[in-house]
Amino acid sequence: MTLVPVTYKGGIYQHDIVTDLIEDLGGYVVQKHVLAQEVVLQCFVPKDDIELIREISRPIFGEVTDSPLVGTEIAVVSMSLEIHHLPHPSCDIAEYVRRIGAKSNMVSLARGPGKRITGLNDEERDVINEHDIAVYLMGNFETCIEHKMPILLRGIEVPVVVCGGPDKETLIRIVDPPVEGYVGGVGRFMRRTKEADQLDKLDEIIAEITRVLEKKREDIAKDPLSVSPARLMNLIRERVPAILEVTSPTPLTVQMAGLRVKLPYDTFAPELRRMEIEDGITLGDVAEIVPSRMRDYILVKVLPFSETNTVI
Amino acid sequence: MLAVEYFEVECPEPLGGDYYKQITNDVLLDHNLLKVIEKIHVYIDPKVPVFIAVGILKPITTVVRVGDIANINPLEGKMTLVITDETYLASMLKIFWERFGKDKVEQPDRFTVVLYNVQADPKDLEQIVIGHPGESVNRDLIYALRCVAPEGFRLRSEHFEPGKFTFVASENTLAEDIDALVKEKFALMGEVP
Repeated sequence: MTLVPVTYKGGIYQHDIVTDLIEDLGGYVVQKHVLAQEVVLQCFVPKDDIELIREISRPIFGEVTDSPLVGTEIAVVSMSLEIHHLPHPSCDIAEYVRRIGAKSNMVSLARGPGKRITGLNDEERDVINEHDIAVYLMGNFETCIEHKMPILLRGIEVPVVVCGGPDKETLIRIVDPPVEGYVGGVGRFMRRTKEADQLDKLDEIIAEITRVLEKKREDIAKDPLSVSPARLMNLIRERVPAILEVTSPTPLTVQMAGLRVKLPYDTFAPELRRMEIEDGITLGDVAEIVPSRMRDYILVKVLPFSETNTVI
Repeated sequence: MLAVEYFEVECPEPLGGDYYKQITNDVLLDHNLLKVIEKIHVYIDPKVPVFIAVGILKPITTVVRVGDIANINPLEGKMTLVITDETYLASMLKIFWERFGKDKVEQPDRFTVVLYNVQADPKDLEQIVIGHPGESVNRDLIYALRCVAPEGFRLRSEHFEPGKFTFVASENTLAEDIDALVKEKFALMGEVP
Protein backbone atom coordinates (compact mmCIF):
# COMPACT_ATOMS: atom_id res chain seq x y z
CA MET A 1 0.00 0.00 0.00
CA THR A 2 1.51 3.31 -1.09
CA LEU A 3 0.66 6.23 1.11
CA VAL A 4 0.61 9.65 -0.53
CA PRO A 5 0.55 13.03 1.21
CA VAL A 6 -2.63 15.08 0.69
CA THR A 7 -4.41 18.03 2.28
CA TYR A 8 -8.11 17.96 3.02
CA LYS A 9 -9.90 21.29 3.38
CA GLY A 10 -13.52 21.55 4.32
CA GLY A 11 -16.11 22.70 6.79
CA ILE A 12 -15.92 21.62 10.41
CA TYR A 13 -19.42 20.12 10.15
CA GLN A 14 -19.21 16.32 9.81
CA HIS A 15 -15.48 16.35 9.15
CA ASP A 16 -15.27 13.35 11.49
CA ILE A 17 -16.60 11.28 8.60
CA VAL A 18 -13.45 12.06 6.64
CA THR A 19 -11.13 11.54 9.62
CA ASP A 20 -12.68 8.14 10.32
CA LEU A 21 -12.56 7.19 6.65
CA ILE A 22 -8.85 8.02 6.40
CA GLU A 23 -8.10 5.95 9.48
CA ASP A 24 -10.27 3.04 8.26
CA LEU A 25 -8.47 3.04 4.94
CA GLY A 26 -5.14 2.75 6.74
CA GLY A 27 -4.10 6.37 6.35
CA TYR A 28 -2.85 8.79 8.98
CA VAL A 29 -3.80 12.33 9.90
CA VAL A 30 -0.50 14.09 10.51
CA GLN A 31 -1.80 17.54 11.42
CA LYS A 32 -5.24 18.94 12.06
CA HIS A 33 -5.95 22.65 12.07
CA VAL A 34 -9.33 23.99 13.01
CA LEU A 35 -9.67 27.59 11.86
CA ALA A 36 -13.06 29.04 12.80
CA GLN A 37 -15.54 27.07 10.66
CA GLU A 38 -12.87 25.47 8.50
CA VAL A 39 -10.81 22.39 9.08
CA VAL A 40 -7.53 21.50 7.37
CA LEU A 41 -6.22 17.97 7.62
CA GLN A 42 -2.75 17.11 6.46
CA CYS A 43 -2.65 13.40 5.98
CA PHE A 44 -1.19 10.33 4.35
CA VAL A 45 -3.76 8.28 2.49
CA PRO A 46 -3.54 5.16 0.30
CA LYS A 47 -2.96 6.21 -3.30
CA ASP A 48 -5.81 4.09 -4.68
CA ASP A 49 -8.35 5.52 -2.27
CA ILE A 50 -7.97 9.23 -2.99
CA GLU A 51 -10.94 9.16 -5.35
CA LEU A 52 -13.05 7.48 -2.69
CA ILE A 53 -12.18 10.19 -0.16
CA ARG A 54 -13.01 12.84 -2.76
CA GLU A 55 -16.36 11.21 -3.44
CA ILE A 56 -17.31 10.87 0.21
CA SER A 57 -16.24 14.40 1.06
CA ARG A 58 -18.12 15.96 -1.88
CA PRO A 59 -21.52 16.23 -0.11
CA ILE A 60 -19.88 18.03 2.81
CA PHE A 61 -17.95 20.37 0.44
CA GLY A 62 -14.54 18.98 1.28
CA GLU A 63 -11.63 19.36 -1.08
CA VAL A 64 -8.67 17.01 -1.41
CA THR A 65 -5.45 18.34 -2.92
CA ASP A 66 -1.97 16.91 -3.38
CA SER A 67 0.55 18.23 -0.87
CA PRO A 68 3.95 16.77 -1.56
CA LEU A 69 5.48 18.40 1.51
CA VAL A 70 3.19 16.86 4.15
CA GLY A 71 5.22 14.88 6.64
CA THR A 72 8.45 16.75 6.07
CA GLU A 73 10.31 19.09 8.36
CA ILE A 74 12.16 21.88 6.59
CA ALA A 75 14.88 24.11 8.01
CA VAL A 76 14.73 27.60 6.54
CA VAL A 77 18.22 28.87 7.23
CA SER A 78 18.28 32.62 7.60
CA MET A 79 21.55 34.47 7.98
CA SER A 80 20.27 36.34 11.03
CA LEU A 81 17.13 37.50 12.79
CA GLU A 82 17.80 41.15 11.93
CA ILE A 83 15.42 43.31 9.94
CA HIS A 84 17.69 42.76 6.91
CA HIS A 85 16.30 39.25 6.50
CA LEU A 86 13.03 39.28 8.41
CA PRO A 87 10.13 39.31 7.76
CA HIS A 88 11.09 39.32 4.06
CA PRO A 89 12.16 37.02 2.59
CA SER A 90 12.76 34.46 5.39
CA CYS A 91 9.26 34.49 6.89
CA ASP A 92 7.60 34.68 3.49
CA ILE A 93 9.31 31.48 2.39
CA ALA A 94 8.86 29.69 5.73
CA GLU A 95 5.18 30.57 5.67
CA TYR A 96 4.72 29.54 2.03
CA VAL A 97 6.11 26.04 2.57
CA ARG A 98 3.87 25.71 5.63
CA ARG A 99 0.82 26.36 3.50
CA ILE A 100 1.40 23.25 1.47
CA GLY A 101 1.86 20.99 4.41
CA ALA A 102 5.51 21.14 5.47
CA LYS A 103 6.55 21.87 9.02
CA SER A 104 9.10 24.62 8.66
CA ASN A 105 11.49 25.83 11.31
CA MET A 106 13.54 28.93 10.89
CA VAL A 107 17.18 28.42 11.80
CA SER A 108 18.97 31.67 12.23
CA LEU A 109 22.73 31.68 12.41
CA ALA A 110 24.62 33.47 15.14
CA ARG A 111 27.37 34.49 12.73
CA GLY A 112 25.57 34.23 9.44
CA PRO A 113 26.06 37.70 7.96
CA GLY A 114 29.28 38.98 6.49
CA LYS A 115 31.84 37.43 4.20
CA ARG A 116 34.92 37.15 6.39
CA ILE A 117 33.15 36.75 9.74
CA THR A 118 30.61 34.13 8.71
CA GLY A 119 30.53 30.84 10.55
CA LEU A 120 28.43 27.87 11.52
CA ASN A 121 28.66 26.48 15.04
CA ASP A 122 28.09 22.89 16.09
CA GLU A 123 24.63 23.53 17.52
CA GLU A 124 23.42 25.16 14.31
CA ARG A 125 24.93 22.36 12.24
CA ASP A 126 23.25 19.67 14.36
CA VAL A 127 19.88 21.43 14.36
CA ILE A 128 19.97 21.74 10.56
CA ASN A 129 20.95 18.07 10.26
CA GLU A 130 17.85 17.08 12.24
CA HIS A 131 15.63 18.25 9.38
CA ASP A 132 14.69 16.58 6.10
CA ILE A 133 16.02 19.42 3.98
CA ALA A 134 17.65 22.82 4.52
CA VAL A 135 16.75 25.89 2.47
CA TYR A 136 19.60 28.42 2.62
CA LEU A 137 18.52 32.00 2.00
CA MET A 138 21.56 33.86 0.75
CA GLY A 139 22.12 37.45 -0.29
CA ASN A 140 22.40 39.30 -3.57
CA PHE A 141 26.12 39.21 -4.32
CA GLU A 142 27.93 36.41 -6.12
CA THR A 143 31.20 37.22 -4.36
CA CYS A 144 29.67 36.75 -0.92
CA ILE A 145 27.78 33.55 -1.76
CA GLU A 146 30.89 32.03 -3.33
CA HIS A 147 32.94 32.90 -0.27
CA LYS A 148 30.41 31.84 2.35
CA MET A 149 28.93 28.60 1.06
CA PRO A 150 31.90 26.29 1.78
CA ILE A 151 31.81 27.48 5.40
CA LEU A 152 28.04 27.27 5.80
CA LEU A 153 27.85 23.79 4.27
CA ARG A 154 30.55 22.31 6.48
CA GLY A 155 29.17 19.21 8.21
CA ILE A 156 25.69 19.50 6.68
CA GLU A 157 24.43 16.05 5.75
CA VAL A 158 20.85 16.78 4.69
CA PRO A 159 19.97 17.90 1.14
CA VAL A 160 20.30 21.65 0.65
CA VAL A 161 18.48 24.10 -1.62
CA VAL A 162 20.30 27.41 -2.05
CA CYS A 163 18.31 30.56 -2.84
CA GLY A 164 20.23 33.66 -3.85
CA GLY A 165 20.12 36.86 -5.85
CA PRO A 166 22.24 35.71 -8.85
CA ASP A 167 20.55 33.57 -11.50
CA LYS A 168 20.41 29.79 -11.24
CA GLU A 169 23.29 29.13 -13.65
CA THR A 170 25.57 31.44 -11.69
CA LEU A 171 24.59 29.75 -8.42
CA ILE A 172 25.35 26.34 -9.89
CA ARG A 173 28.75 27.67 -10.96
CA ILE A 174 29.75 29.34 -7.70
CA VAL A 175 28.34 27.12 -4.94
CA ASP A 176 31.02 24.76 -3.80
CA PRO A 177 30.55 21.99 -2.69
CA PRO A 178 27.58 21.49 -5.02
CA VAL A 179 24.18 21.17 -3.41
CA GLU A 180 20.97 19.43 -4.45
CA GLY A 181 18.87 22.42 -5.50
CA TYR A 182 19.28 26.02 -6.65
CA VAL A 183 16.80 28.88 -7.00
CA GLY A 184 18.10 32.11 -8.52
CA GLY A 185 16.63 35.59 -8.27
CA VAL A 186 15.60 35.24 -4.62
CA GLY A 187 18.15 37.17 -2.62
CA ARG A 188 17.64 39.80 0.04
CA PHE A 189 14.67 42.07 -0.53
CA MET A 190 12.70 44.35 1.75
CA ARG A 191 9.15 44.09 0.44
CA ARG A 192 6.30 41.66 0.90
CA THR A 193 5.98 38.95 -1.72
CA LYS A 194 2.53 39.61 -3.10
CA GLU A 195 2.99 40.40 -6.81
CA ALA A 196 2.48 37.61 -9.36
CA ASP A 197 6.16 37.39 -10.32
CA GLN A 198 7.24 37.19 -6.68
CA LEU A 199 4.70 34.45 -6.00
CA ASP A 200 6.03 32.61 -9.05
CA LYS A 201 9.46 32.70 -7.43
CA LEU A 202 8.03 31.20 -4.25
CA ASP A 203 6.41 28.48 -6.36
CA GLU A 204 9.79 27.87 -7.97
CA ILE A 205 11.31 27.34 -4.50
CA ILE A 206 8.51 24.88 -3.65
CA ALA A 207 9.07 23.02 -6.94
CA GLU A 208 12.79 22.74 -6.21
CA ILE A 209 12.20 21.55 -2.63
CA THR A 210 9.65 19.02 -3.88
CA ARG A 211 12.05 17.74 -6.52
CA VAL A 212 14.84 17.26 -3.99
CA LEU A 213 12.53 15.61 -1.47
CA GLU A 214 11.08 13.27 -4.10
CA LYS A 215 14.60 12.09 -4.78
CA LYS A 216 15.14 11.52 -1.06
CA ARG A 217 11.83 9.62 -0.90
CA GLU A 218 13.00 7.40 -3.74
CA ASP A 219 16.24 6.70 -1.90
CA ILE A 220 14.31 5.78 1.24
CA ALA A 221 12.00 3.53 -0.79
CA LYS A 222 15.00 1.49 -1.96
CA ASP A 223 15.62 0.46 1.65
CA PRO A 224 12.22 0.97 3.33
CA LEU A 225 11.82 2.10 6.90
CA SER A 226 11.03 -0.51 9.53
CA VAL A 227 7.95 1.42 10.56
CA SER A 228 6.16 4.40 9.08
CA PRO A 229 6.77 7.63 11.07
CA ALA A 230 3.08 8.55 10.66
CA ARG A 231 2.06 5.28 12.25
CA LEU A 232 4.50 5.87 15.09
CA MET A 233 2.93 9.27 15.63
CA ASN A 234 -0.50 7.71 16.19
CA LEU A 235 0.95 5.04 18.47
CA ILE A 236 2.80 7.55 20.63
CA ARG A 237 -0.34 9.64 20.88
CA GLU A 238 -2.22 6.58 22.16
CA ARG A 239 0.42 5.14 24.49
CA VAL A 240 2.12 8.24 25.91
CA PRO A 241 -0.68 10.41 27.29
CA ALA A 242 1.79 13.13 28.36
CA ILE A 243 2.04 14.19 24.71
CA LEU A 244 -1.55 15.41 24.85
CA GLU A 245 -0.55 17.94 27.51
CA VAL A 246 2.10 19.58 25.30
CA THR A 247 0.96 22.99 24.10
CA SER A 248 3.29 23.20 21.11
CA PRO A 249 1.43 23.42 17.77
CA THR A 250 2.86 20.10 16.62
CA PRO A 251 3.81 18.02 19.70
CA LEU A 252 4.76 15.19 17.36
CA THR A 253 6.44 16.34 14.19
CA VAL A 254 6.57 13.77 11.44
CA GLN A 255 9.68 13.68 9.30
CA MET A 256 10.46 11.57 6.27
CA ALA A 257 12.51 9.06 8.25
CA GLY A 258 11.69 9.89 11.81
CA LEU A 259 9.76 11.84 14.32
CA ARG A 260 10.40 14.71 16.69
CA VAL A 261 8.70 14.14 20.05
CA LYS A 262 8.38 17.32 22.04
CA LEU A 263 8.79 15.77 25.47
CA PRO A 264 11.83 15.94 27.78
CA TYR A 265 14.41 13.34 26.78
CA ASP A 266 15.52 12.22 30.24
CA THR A 267 11.99 11.54 31.46
CA PHE A 268 10.40 9.99 28.41
CA ALA A 269 13.14 8.34 26.34
CA PRO A 270 13.14 5.05 28.35
CA GLU A 271 9.34 4.89 28.13
CA LEU A 272 9.47 5.40 24.36
CA ARG A 273 12.17 2.74 23.94
CA ARG A 274 10.01 0.23 25.82
CA MET A 275 6.86 1.10 23.88
CA GLU A 276 5.58 -1.99 22.07
CA ILE A 277 4.56 -1.50 18.46
CA GLU A 278 3.39 -4.99 17.49
CA ASP A 279 4.10 -8.63 18.39
CA GLY A 280 6.59 -7.77 21.09
CA ILE A 281 8.66 -5.48 18.85
CA THR A 282 9.45 -2.32 20.74
CA LEU A 283 10.26 1.11 19.40
CA GLY A 284 13.81 0.69 20.67
CA ASP A 285 14.24 -2.30 18.32
CA VAL A 286 13.35 -0.43 15.15
CA ALA A 287 14.46 3.10 15.88
CA GLU A 288 17.24 5.10 17.45
CA ILE A 289 15.98 7.39 20.19
CA VAL A 290 18.38 10.26 20.65
CA PRO A 291 18.24 13.67 22.32
CA SER A 292 17.47 16.49 19.92
CA ARG A 293 19.62 19.62 19.85
CA MET A 294 16.38 21.56 19.73
CA ARG A 295 15.48 22.30 23.39
CA ASP A 296 15.28 18.97 25.28
CA TYR A 297 13.13 17.21 22.72
CA ILE A 298 13.46 13.61 21.63
CA LEU A 299 14.40 12.61 18.11
CA VAL A 300 13.22 9.22 16.90
CA LYS A 301 15.25 8.03 13.91
CA VAL A 302 13.54 5.06 12.31
CA LEU A 303 16.02 2.45 11.12
CA PRO A 304 15.77 0.97 7.62
CA PHE A 305 14.85 -2.62 6.86
CA SER A 306 18.48 -3.51 6.08
CA GLU A 307 19.48 -2.82 9.68
CA THR A 308 16.55 -4.36 11.57
CA ASN A 309 15.31 -7.04 9.18
CA THR A 310 11.80 -6.12 10.24
CA VAL A 311 9.01 -4.16 8.61
CA ILE A 312 5.88 -3.60 10.65
CA MET B 1 11.25 57.91 -6.43
CA LEU B 2 10.05 60.91 -8.39
CA ALA B 3 10.74 63.27 -5.53
CA VAL B 4 14.47 62.45 -5.64
CA GLU B 5 16.48 64.45 -8.14
CA TYR B 6 19.41 62.02 -8.31
CA PHE B 7 19.27 58.38 -7.25
CA GLU B 8 22.04 56.01 -8.31
CA VAL B 9 23.36 52.73 -7.01
CA GLU B 10 26.83 51.82 -8.23
CA CYS B 11 28.10 48.28 -7.92
CA PRO B 12 30.66 46.14 -9.78
CA GLU B 13 28.05 43.36 -9.92
CA PRO B 14 25.26 44.76 -12.11
CA LEU B 15 22.56 42.38 -10.90
CA GLY B 16 23.48 42.94 -7.25
CA GLY B 17 23.37 46.69 -7.94
CA ASP B 18 19.84 46.40 -9.31
CA TYR B 19 18.69 44.51 -6.22
CA TYR B 20 20.27 47.12 -3.98
CA LYS B 21 18.57 49.94 -5.87
CA GLN B 22 15.26 48.24 -5.16
CA ILE B 23 16.17 47.69 -1.49
CA THR B 24 17.27 51.33 -1.07
CA ASN B 25 14.07 52.55 -2.66
CA ASP B 26 11.87 50.26 -0.54
CA VAL B 27 13.60 51.14 2.73
CA LEU B 28 13.58 54.89 2.14
CA LEU B 29 9.95 54.71 1.06
CA ASP B 30 8.98 52.66 4.11
CA HIS B 31 10.68 55.15 6.42
CA ASN B 32 9.07 58.06 4.61
CA LEU B 33 12.48 59.51 3.79
CA LEU B 34 12.29 59.91 0.03
CA LYS B 35 10.61 63.28 0.46
CA VAL B 36 13.54 64.69 2.47
CA ILE B 37 16.29 63.42 0.18
CA GLU B 38 17.28 65.49 -2.82
CA LYS B 39 20.19 63.42 -4.10
CA ILE B 40 21.56 60.04 -3.07
CA HIS B 41 24.43 57.97 -4.41
CA VAL B 42 25.06 54.48 -3.09
CA TYR B 43 28.26 52.58 -3.84
CA ILE B 44 28.71 48.95 -2.87
CA ASP B 45 31.71 46.78 -3.60
CA PRO B 46 31.34 43.33 -2.04
CA LYS B 47 34.93 42.44 -2.96
CA VAL B 48 36.56 45.15 -0.79
CA PRO B 49 33.99 45.07 1.01
CA VAL B 50 32.61 48.59 1.39
CA PHE B 51 29.24 50.33 1.38
CA ILE B 52 29.04 54.08 0.87
CA ALA B 53 25.91 56.20 0.80
CA VAL B 54 26.25 59.94 0.25
CA GLY B 55 23.49 62.41 -0.28
CA ILE B 56 22.01 65.85 -0.15
CA LEU B 57 18.97 66.61 1.99
CA LYS B 58 16.19 69.06 1.30
CA PRO B 59 15.90 71.83 3.88
CA ILE B 60 13.12 71.01 6.33
CA THR B 61 11.64 74.22 7.64
CA THR B 62 8.10 73.11 8.26
CA VAL B 63 6.71 72.40 11.70
CA VAL B 64 3.71 70.26 12.58
CA ARG B 65 0.79 72.05 14.22
CA VAL B 66 -2.34 70.71 15.92
CA GLY B 67 -4.39 71.70 12.86
CA ASP B 68 -2.25 69.43 10.65
CA ILE B 69 -3.15 66.24 12.48
CA ALA B 70 -6.57 66.95 14.03
CA ASN B 71 -9.98 68.42 13.25
CA ILE B 72 -11.34 70.49 16.10
CA ASN B 73 -15.09 70.44 16.83
CA PRO B 74 -15.93 73.00 19.50
CA LEU B 75 -19.11 72.34 21.47
CA GLU B 76 -20.43 73.98 24.59
CA GLY B 77 -17.88 73.51 27.36
CA LYS B 78 -15.75 71.04 25.47
CA MET B 79 -13.69 70.69 22.32
CA THR B 80 -13.39 67.36 20.52
CA LEU B 81 -10.28 66.73 18.45
CA VAL B 82 -10.53 64.01 15.83
CA ILE B 83 -7.02 62.77 15.12
CA THR B 84 -6.11 61.91 11.56
CA ASP B 85 -2.43 61.05 12.05
CA GLU B 86 -1.20 59.74 15.37
CA THR B 87 2.54 60.24 14.76
CA TYR B 88 2.62 63.40 16.86
CA LEU B 89 -0.26 62.47 19.19
CA ALA B 90 1.98 61.79 22.19
CA SER B 91 3.78 65.11 21.95
CA MET B 92 0.46 66.92 21.45
CA LEU B 93 -0.99 65.36 24.62
CA LYS B 94 2.12 66.32 26.56
CA ILE B 95 1.77 69.95 25.46
CA PHE B 96 -1.95 69.96 26.33
CA TRP B 97 -1.25 68.53 29.80
CA GLU B 98 1.34 71.19 30.48
CA ARG B 99 -0.84 74.00 29.19
CA PHE B 100 -4.31 73.03 30.44
CA GLY B 101 -3.71 70.40 33.14
CA LYS B 102 -4.34 66.67 33.03
CA ASP B 103 -7.87 66.96 34.48
CA LYS B 104 -9.03 68.89 31.44
CA VAL B 105 -7.61 66.57 28.79
CA GLU B 106 -9.18 63.23 28.10
CA GLN B 107 -8.54 60.62 25.42
CA PRO B 108 -11.57 58.31 25.26
CA ASP B 109 -10.19 56.35 22.35
CA ARG B 110 -7.19 56.14 20.05
CA PHE B 111 -8.33 58.80 17.58
CA THR B 112 -10.22 61.21 19.86
CA VAL B 113 -9.01 63.80 22.36
CA VAL B 114 -11.49 65.89 24.34
CA LEU B 115 -10.62 69.15 26.10
CA TYR B 116 -13.07 70.21 28.86
CA ASN B 117 -13.65 73.82 29.90
CA VAL B 118 -10.62 75.15 28.07
CA GLN B 119 -10.65 78.89 27.53
CA ALA B 120 -9.00 78.98 24.14
CA ASP B 121 -10.00 79.88 20.64
CA PRO B 122 -10.06 76.80 18.36
CA LYS B 123 -8.10 78.80 15.79
CA ASP B 124 -5.32 79.45 18.31
CA LEU B 125 -5.40 75.83 19.33
CA GLU B 126 -4.86 74.78 15.73
CA GLN B 127 -1.68 76.86 15.60
CA ILE B 128 0.07 75.17 18.55
CA VAL B 129 3.35 73.62 17.33
CA ILE B 130 3.62 69.96 18.34
CA GLY B 131 6.50 68.61 16.31
CA HIS B 132 9.68 69.42 14.37
CA PRO B 133 10.18 66.72 11.71
CA GLY B 134 13.66 67.99 10.92
CA GLU B 135 14.95 67.08 14.38
CA SER B 136 14.69 63.33 13.94
CA VAL B 137 15.56 63.09 10.25
CA ASN B 138 19.25 62.30 10.81
CA ARG B 139 18.45 59.57 13.29
CA ASP B 140 15.86 58.08 10.93
CA LEU B 141 18.28 58.26 8.03
CA ILE B 142 21.03 56.42 9.94
CA TYR B 143 18.56 53.70 10.86
CA ALA B 144 17.32 53.41 7.27
CA LEU B 145 20.84 53.24 5.82
CA ARG B 146 21.77 50.55 8.36
CA CYS B 147 18.85 48.55 6.97
CA VAL B 148 20.00 49.11 3.40
CA ALA B 149 23.66 48.22 3.99
CA PRO B 150 24.52 44.50 3.95
CA GLU B 151 24.18 43.16 7.45
CA GLY B 152 27.73 41.97 7.86
CA PHE B 153 29.01 45.54 7.36
CA ARG B 154 29.18 46.40 11.01
CA LEU B 155 32.03 48.87 11.13
CA ARG B 156 30.42 52.16 10.35
CA SER B 157 31.33 55.77 10.01
CA GLU B 158 28.51 58.29 9.76
CA HIS B 159 28.81 61.98 9.13
CA PHE B 160 25.78 64.22 9.13
CA GLU B 161 25.68 67.96 8.76
CA PRO B 162 22.81 70.24 7.77
CA GLY B 163 21.88 69.35 4.21
CA LYS B 164 24.43 66.55 3.68
CA PHE B 165 25.14 63.07 4.86
CA THR B 166 27.81 60.41 4.47
CA PHE B 167 27.40 56.83 5.60
CA VAL B 168 30.26 54.39 5.20
CA ALA B 169 30.15 50.77 6.34
CA SER B 170 32.38 47.77 5.96
CA GLU B 171 33.06 44.36 7.35
CA ASN B 172 36.74 45.16 7.78
CA THR B 173 38.49 48.16 9.22
CA LEU B 174 37.74 51.18 7.05
CA ALA B 175 40.59 52.16 4.77
CA GLU B 176 42.43 55.38 5.55
CA ASP B 177 41.72 56.82 2.12
CA ILE B 178 37.97 56.32 2.44
CA ASP B 179 37.44 60.09 2.49
CA ALA B 180 38.82 60.33 -1.04
CA LEU B 181 36.27 57.75 -2.19
CA VAL B 182 33.48 59.65 -0.44
CA LYS B 183 34.63 62.84 -2.16
CA GLU B 184 34.57 61.03 -5.49
CA LYS B 185 30.99 59.90 -4.92
CA PHE B 186 29.91 63.43 -4.00
CA ALA B 187 31.56 64.64 -7.20
CA LEU B 188 29.43 62.20 -9.22
CA MET B 189 26.37 64.04 -7.94
CA GLY B 190 27.98 67.37 -8.74
CA GLU B 191 28.47 68.22 -5.07
CA VAL B 192 31.31 68.58 -2.60
CA PRO B 193 31.34 66.87 0.81
